Amino acid sequence: MGNKQTIFTDEQLDNYQDCSFFNRNDILKLHARYYELAPNIVPMDYRKNPIVTVPMSVIIQMPEFKENPFKERIVASFSEDGEGNLTFNDFVDMFSVLCESAPRELKASYAFKIYDFNNDNFICKSDLELTLARLTKSELEEEEVVLVCDKVIEEADLDGDGKLSYADFEDMIAKSPDFLSSAYTMFPELLPLMESIRKDELLSGRGGASSGN
Amino acid sequence: MRRAKEIVLKFEGRLTRTRGYQAAGVDLWRKFVRLAYNFVVIFIPWEMRIKKIESHFGSGVASYFIFLRWLFGINIVLTIMTGAFIVIPELIAGQPFGSTISKTIPKDQVASAQDLDTVWSLGGYLQYSVLFYGYYGKERKIGKAGYRLPLAYFLVGMAVFVYSFIILLKKMAKNSRMSLASASNENYTFCWRVFCAWDYLIGNPEAAESKAAAIVNSIREAILEEQEKKKSKNLAVTICLRIIANILVLLSLAGSIYLIYFVVDRSQKLERTKEELTLWEKNEVSVVVSLITMIAPSAFELVAALEMYHPRTTLRFQLARVLVLYLGNLYSLIIALLDKVNSMSIAETEAKNNASIWEYSPHFLPTRALSEEEKWSPTISGIQVKQNNTIQHYLIPITVTNKTTSYNYNVQNQQDQCWETYVGQEMLKLSIIDMIFTVASILLIDFFRGLFVRYLSDCWCWDLESKFPEYGEFKIAENVLHLVYNQGMIWMGAFFSPCLPAFNVLKLIGLMYLRSWAVLTCNVPHQQVFRASRSNNFYLAMLLFMLFLCMLPTIFAIARYKPSLNCGPFSGQEKIYDIVSETIKNDFPLWFNSVIGYVSSPVVILPALLLLFMLIYYLQSIARSLKFTNSQLRMQIQSDRSEDKKKVAQMIVARTQTQEGSKKSQENDFINQQASIHSMTPRKHGHVVNFDSPGSRIPTISQAIPQAKILRPVEITSSVTSISKARSEHHRYPYFTHDSDLSKTKSYTPVTFKKHLEDIHSDPLFHKGIPQENPDVLGAGAPGFLRGQIHVPRYYIVNERESRRKPRSISRSPRHFHRNNLADFGEMYSRNKRGYLLSKPHHAYPPHLSDEEEEEVRRNIFSRSFRPRSFSDLHQMPHFYIGEQTERQILAAEDLARMHYQSWNDGFEADHYRPVYLYKKPQSRNFDPEPRYPEHFMKPNNKQKMEPSFTESDSVSASSSDQQNSSTDQYIQIIHNKDKYLKSTGKLSRKKSKSRLEMSIVDPNELVCSNV
Repeated sequence: MGNKQTIFTDEQLDNYQDCSFFNRNDILKLHARYYELAPNIVPMDYRKNPIVTVPMSVIIQMPEFKENPFKERIVASFSEDGEGNLTFNDFVDMFSVLCESAPRELKASYAFKIYDFNNDNFICKSDLELTLARLTKSELEEEEVVLVCDKVIEEADLDGDGKLSYADFEDMIAKSPDFLSSAYTMFPELLPLMESIRKDELLSGRGGASSGN
Repeated sequence: MRRAKEIVLKFEGRLTRTRGYQAAGVDLWRKFVRLAYNFVVIFIPWEMRIKKIESHFGSGVASYFIFLRWLFGINIVLTIMTGAFIVIPELIAGQPFGSTISKTIPKDQVASAQDLDTVWSLGGYLQYSVLFYGYYGKERKIGKAGYRLPLAYFLVGMAVFVYSFIILLKKMAKNSRMSLASASNENYTFCWRVFCAWDYLIGNPEAAESKAAAIVNSIREAILEEQEKKKSKNLAVTICLRIIANILVLLSLAGSIYLIYFVVDRSQKLERTKEELTLWEKNEVSVVVSLITMIAPSAFELVAALEMYHPRTTLRFQLARVLVLYLGNLYSLIIALLDKVNSMSIAETEAKNNASIWEYSPHFLPTRALSEEEKWSPTISGIQVKQNNTIQHYLIPITVTNKTTSYNYNVQNQQDQCWETYVGQEMLKLSIIDMIFTVASILLIDFFRGLFVRYLSDCWCWDLESKFPEYGEFKIAENVLHLVYNQGMIWMGAFFSPCLPAFNVLKLIGLMYLRSWAVLTCNVPHQQVFRASRSNNFYLAMLLFMLFLCMLPTIFAIARYKPSLNCGPFSGQEKIYDIVSETIKNDFPLWFNSVIGYVSSPVVILPALLLLFMLIYYLQSIARSLKFTNSQLRMQIQSDRSEDKKKVAQMIVARTQTQEGSKKSQENDFINQQASIHSMTPRKHGHVVNFDSPGSRIPTISQAIPQAKILRPVEITSSVTSISKARSEHHRYPYFTHDSDLSKTKSYTPVTFKKHLEDIHSDPLFHKGIPQENPDVLGAGAPGFLRGQIHVPRYYIVNERESRRKPRSISRSPRHFHRNNLADFGEMYSRNKRGYLLSKPHHAYPPHLSDEEEEEVRRNIFSRSFRPRSFSDLHQMPHFYIGEQTERQILAAEDLARMHYQSWNDGFEADHYRPVYLYKKPQSRNFDPEPRYPEHFMKPNNKQKMEPSFTESDSVSASSSDQQNSSTDQYIQIIHNKDKYLKSTGKLSRKKSKSRLEMSIVDPNELVCSNV
């Protein structure tokens, strides 16, 4: 279908491939997904680089995000405007970072952003409290939360400023065995199975349309 | 802007594509591995079930189920062994049922052979089936192939023990290895539990829920560990309490053992003297034993509360004590009964001087000895299940059977004298009854109690759920002991009843489902969720102990007693193990016989034993020394870490001192952080070292000075070529060694110093714009200078980091100076610097290079200090440039030598830069407050983080139309840069750079701004 599609120019596709960890087909599939999120807003033809954003409320309805306690944070940290509205570039970016082949450093940098709720470039206690609340569905007692926050800071804060800088965070997380294996991988296969069927339909439909043109 | 981005991406992509195939291969392999792993997980029995339990009840409860599963695995293997080598050959090739005496039911029993009562006690048809030892024929070879069943029977019987031992020891060794490996990295318990806990792949609400529960549990476990650690105890009191507790436990153990012995003894006396026993007298022993075994564990639990151990340790103590109690009871009973058996057999032999009696009496002894043990074992299981009935059930019949057998001895048919079958029957019965009581107790204690509490609590006078009956808790200790005990029975009985392992497999499956169901439906999590030790070695050790103890009677019986005359594969032999020597004698060549003869002679065995002892000693000492080194290394790691922290703390102290006077320092802080973030990102190791280096550097400054003096010229002089390299820094740093880092660190420290000096007394010189750099002053005490200017050193740290990325210390100096200047902006002026530079061999900088440099500087300045402040500053940038240019020329025209141009320039740029913005000091003050407010500052800073990567991306995108402003110089650099980039082929670096680019995409605005 490579040459017949009318969504992107070849140049665009090349660029996308270069800046993400995806190949042509993946990009097209991603576009299909993006389109599917908001068919009214997103155009099928992207060759003119239209400036289109999909709001966070739509993005977090994606099955991959639904159960994630940090879904809003993830979307917000990838959106260019910080509000959670994603352009297609952001969207590709997000999938790219959260896919399996993304390097750990990159994942770590975004993980840091995800946990940095107030965007102050530090994970401070309030960030930690929010993180814990989301992670545990607020099941921990007040003093437990305080204790955990203190311990986290104590463990990872190397410069003693009472909050975690990115360096602290990166240092800590790079040593984690979980992180080494698979943490922060959201899309091991690009698309879940149930989605891919519809995707194929979409793509084939589009292919037909373009050949008609 | 977008186009620029895309071009950047394009460049990046080409690089990737060259290595694309390799990457694709790796990807494919990874996917395959994951698929295979997922596939395998499906076949791990009960994995999901256990995970679910673990997520709700913690790893302690899960450890029970994992242990259960492991036992299940062992039993499968045992079943296969006995099934394949004993049962199936006998069924296929053995003589059919009814063909021999040992395989037919005696005539007087046929009528009752199918009665429920008979079947229940495993008599009748069951007794004469492959289930038990007695059924197997004694032909040396069966079937056409000549399968040696008796030999196989013996070997399999031994192999069961050998296999169990080996598998247990192997598992224990593996576990201890794992626990050693995992124990080393416990520094970030909480962090990992918070930041690495969530599995981002979870998309199913149920999975999400249980994951959340699991996270809560794991955090609670960690909290508990922490609290246990924190518990500052009054050492003397605890030790006293623990001693008391142990004395109490020992006393109760001794008391219980004595009580049992006393009761058994008394019942024997009663039996002898009294004709008719009352109900109490009959059941005395079993009641006492069951009472002891019921009460003692709870007493131990109370005692354990005194000791105030960690819950995990408490569990272990509890397990060990209960096990000792059971074993003590078991052995005291065995000894008491053995006494009785001996006395009775003596009486018998005296009474009947029949030859046949002589012949058979040895058979009786084992029968009794073993059966007594068996009688005993039910006590344990019964107790565990909290049922007295088992014990009563067994003890009575057995004591009675002893009597009956001895009295009715002569009358009995020879067929009945198969003690091996009897043992097997007893074991199987025991196992069945144990299972029944387990099921009953689960239903009663957990399920019905749960139902009762759940549905009646509304109409009850007190709160059932929180007060008396409550919901059941899962008692790990008792359940694990039950498993251990159950497995012990299997081992003990497997020789006499080859189908016992198969039965046990079924039992364990049932238990698994029932238990897991009961746990999930009727039990509440323990109040204190604690983490099971990752190696369940303690359970395994108990199991090993049990295996040994269970093996003893079997081995004893095999070695000591004559097999039954009329049943079983070994009938007619003097000893069971004779089958081996017989086979060797008859079926192996003569030489093998003699070899065996030699090998089994003391001449060989004694030295072999000695050798073994020596080997054990040697290995033990090695293990001890390894342990020692291990602990040493761990301590070293700990001390390193704490030292790092200390250094950092020192730095903090220094920083707090400077806090008031250093508004700029905050700014620098940010820059510093940003830079450090950068430098840290790509490097996986040595973060701590790098990161801590700011702290450590302060104290080491004075030491580093001499070296620095030597090194600095090089750095400065090399600055000519530096720009392009500086750009490509990011790509290269992964290749650098720490050594170079260190040297850099040292080489730069003096600069910091100078700056301090300058800071302190160069304010008046500010307007002169004369670089000042006096190496001689470097030696001055660090602390004094640090006082107000901590930010400066930190600043330098940044530089060092960057410089570190370069293989050779090329070209750092320009940046340094910029930054110095920036950092201290108006205040410091480097007059001496000039002089210093003059003395350098390479001071001549071509003007165009300085342009480049300027570019670079500009960018640096912009990206670092401009950006974070506010975007509105952008419009001033042109001014800046112009002013800078002119200023430079002016300066050049002034009394400065051209040679110093460069460094000068740097100085001036900074000057310039300041004036443009702040022109006068008051103005600069206006700016200062900004950095103070992190809220405002953070966001831009965040972006700022990306800047260095931007230099690359800029350079790449210089070809794009967006950046026409950029000078040709820059363009050249870019290409240069790119080449280098290309050369640095390592996959890693590519990925990193890629990531960098990714990051850079985030804020293209900056890119444009800084270049416009």
